[in-house]
Amino acid sequence: MHRVTSYVLRRLVGAVPLLLGISVISFAILKAVPGGPLAAYEANPNITPEDIVRLERAFGLDQPFHVQYLTWFGRLLGGDWGHSYASSQPVLAMIGERLPNTLTLMGTVYVVTLLIAIPIGVATATRQYSRFDHLVTGGTFLAYSMPPFWLGLLLIILFGLQLRWLPLGGMTVPGATSFDLVDRLRHLVLPVTTLALFGTAHYVRYLRASMLETIGQDYLRTARAKGLGERIVILRHALRNASIPLVTVAALDLPELFVGALVTEQIFGWPGMGRLFWDAATRADYPVLMGILVVSATLVVLANLAADVLYAYLDPRIRFA
Amino acid sequence: MAMFIFCACAPTATHTAPGGAAIANSGPVRGGTLVFSLWQEPAGLLPNFASQTVAGIVASLVVEGLTGTNSDGSYYPVLATQVPTLANGGVRLLAGGGMDVSYELIPNVRWSDGSAFTSADVKFTWETYLKDPKVITKDGYSAIEQIDTPTPTSVVLHYKQIYGPYLTRFTGLLPKSLEKEADLSRSEYNRKPIGTGPFRITEFVAGDHITAERNPTYRVPDRPYLDRIIFRSVPSREAAIAQLKAGEVDGMWNLLEAQVPEIAPDPKLRVIATAGATVERIELNLAKPADPADPAVRHPVLGDRAVRRALNLATPKQQIIDKLLFGKAQIGTSPVSQGWASPKGLAQEPYDPNLANKVLDEAGWVKGADGVRAKGGVRAALTIMTTSGDKVREQTEQVLIDEWKRVGIELSIRNLPSDVLLSGTFANDPRKRGNFDLVMYASTPGIDPQTTMLRYTTAGIPTTANGGAGQNFTRFANAEADAAIAGASATVDQPKRAELYARALKLLNDEIAIIWLYDRQTIDAFRATVRGPTGSVWLGITFNAQDWWIGR
Repeated sequence: MHRVTSYVLRRLVGAVPLLLGISVISFAILKAVPGGPLAAYEANPNITPEDIVRLERAFGLDQPFHVQYLTWFGRLLGGDWGHSYASSQPVLAMIGERLPNTLTLMGTVYVVTLLIAIPIGVATATRQYSRFDHLVTGGTFLAYSMPPFWLGLLLIILFGLQLRWLPLGGMTVPGATSFDLVDRLRHLVLPVTTLALFGTAHYVRYLRASMLETIGQDYLRTARAKGLGERIVILRHALRNASIPLVTVAALDLPELFVGALVTEQIFGWPGMGRLFWDAATRADYPVLMGILVVSATLVVLANLAADVLYAYLDPRIRFA
Repeated sequence: MAMFIFCACAPTATHTAPGGAAIANSGPVRGGTLVFSLWQEPAGLLPNFASQTVAGIVASLVVEGLTGTNSDGSYYPVLATQVPTLANGGVRLLAGGGMDVSYELIPNVRWSDGSAFTSADVKFTWETYLKDPKVITKDGYSAIEQIDTPTPTSVVLHYKQIYGPYLTRFTGLLPKSLEKEADLSRSEYNRKPIGTGPFRITEFVAGDHITAERNPTYRVPDRPYLDRIIFRSVPSREAAIAQLKAGEVDGMWNLLEAQVPEIAPDPKLRVIATAGATVERIELNLAKPADPADPAVRHPVLGDRAVRRALNLATPKQQIIDKLLFGKAQIGTSPVSQGWASPKGLAQEPYDPNLANKVLDEAGWVKGADGVRAKGGVRAALTIMTTSGDKVREQTEQVLIDEWKRVGIELSIRNLPSDVLLSGTFANDPRKRGNFDLVMYASTPGIDPQTTMLRYTTAGIPTTANGGAGQNFTRFANAEADAAIAGASATVDQPKRAELYARALKLLNDEIAIIWLYDRQTIDAFRATVRGPTGSVWLGITFNAQDWWIGR
């Protein structure tokens, strides 16, 4: 166990320069985009050129790049994530407002995806080249190649506009005063379907491939020869080993739980992190964008670490080095 | 899939249509909730801290000022008893070049937090606007030397100099009770401002909705009719239209002209199109394109007035309006299309391609073998820029390529994303650099046209020397126009100002530096059951929300 701790610590220390580099590059890319947070003011007839110069100074936008970056970074070290240029709200509070909504959406997607993908993946591998297997393989390719913005709109048109079964977007019915589980679930159906279909296809393909590899191995034949039932052979012996690649993929997807889905949240008007990022990007709201980028970069680094640790736990052949 | 088990329950309409059948069709109904969708979200609602149009749509339910603007551009009193002018003695010119403006305030007005509205609030508003570095504009406020509050209902503004657009200031007031806030824009009041208007904000859920409830302290009896208006945040105009058609919302903000045919035939829906101040135009660079351009060097093709005249003659504005905008626009005549300063009888020459050909022939532009004219070795080949992805603008470019080819002018397209083309920074914006032949975009003047008119002054030409300040993108320079515009800002005599602006605009149009394509409309849509919205040229659709009600 001591070995694991030192491995994790070494990896965490190594992540620091990585995150620093990511923040510098992100900041530079944001600054390289023409326009900037005051671009909208230029067209406003009520704002004079003197006002724009004053606002640039008030937001520190007149400073050279390195000064702007160091100011931002210095404040971040002191726990100040800055304030949005557009709304003047603290960035951390803005993220805090959206995080529960994104967790609701993406958490549901995650659970639904795994619940559907694992049985289908196992079933399709155990019946290789059957009609069911062909159907699933074709279906996963189809689902995998459908872009969420297209599928999402299609679902809205079909179930929202044509059939009128489900709401067209948002998280609640307008005017709802208290939490209503049925209402929330109705609003979740279409965005979850859009995202889960893609995720399921992804996971099924991974699981099918690794299951097929495992099923052909000698130790399964041995297990069967011992007289174990097929169910136990598949679920206990094959699935456990075959799930290692899936665990890695699923762990690497964990940051999405917090970061959200940019396009899908936008299409369905879901008030989550993805939409916050979208809105901030259209306004060149650097402090908000940087806040989200820092959170997501940190989560990606941690998820990678978690995947590696889990991998070793599931497969004792892998050693921490 | 297991997920579809929730589909069985039918959606129910959420707005509670008030009133029984007995009182239907018998005048305004009191009560009820109206859901209005916005495809952009207000970042904040404090007056003079938000630049977004959509912020005004929500804030105008809550925030009021001393004056408001009618559709014809005339001013009306809101929290003042009358509009101060030279004629009624409300404005007094001083010997030293300054002026005093006096307002009498309506007595017994209360803020939504219950405190009394007094002249001290007007003074506090001014002090805040001067002090806070993050207000949108200090223009006009910094021209005030001192504010006196002789009584709780009278306030006197001492201006250091003549400030023509004085009636456009103080249209959003702040209560003095906010003086305890160190940084107003970061306070909770940016989302829930305290106002004197018919509603107050009770809920602001970012990314989802904003709820405005009836303000119990509102001074007008029996208003508002509605109990509450919920502004729903939707991702796009298309989504808003879908929700409106499906009955999930009762109204939506800001449609495109091309979307009207999708809504207009539905008897359950109602489109409200109001003349707007926004003017779509093609600006012609009078200077030779360079990075940055030197305004002293004439454009080799567009420097010739005959070419500019021919381009305008060969532009089928009405056809563009009818075919691309479904008739929802007016032919443009000037940058000031609405309001008291809008010049009458100022029009550009109508579409006449034959005359265009004749003008170019006479000016010595000779058609070559490829059908493109040339003069002195210079081909009449031009490039047009606009915001990429804008369907109507891109279609307009196609029309112009065909039309202008017929008069021997070759047009090619080089569109840029709006973030670049309209970035407004000297580093990136090709309009500011002067690195273009023709640029098509839209601009909206303020209620007072002074800042818009500064776009047509010599001092407004962006150059390296002035750090790229100013928005005179065509590089139009005319000393007489400069003098007229300067004169208009130095007087409070409105008819005189209108006359001076008209003179400058006439000079601008004589030069044909800009082809005014069309005046855009402001288009909103409602369920047919919603009564009361009328639209306004200068104010958002919600300006009279206290008079809205939901019928049957």
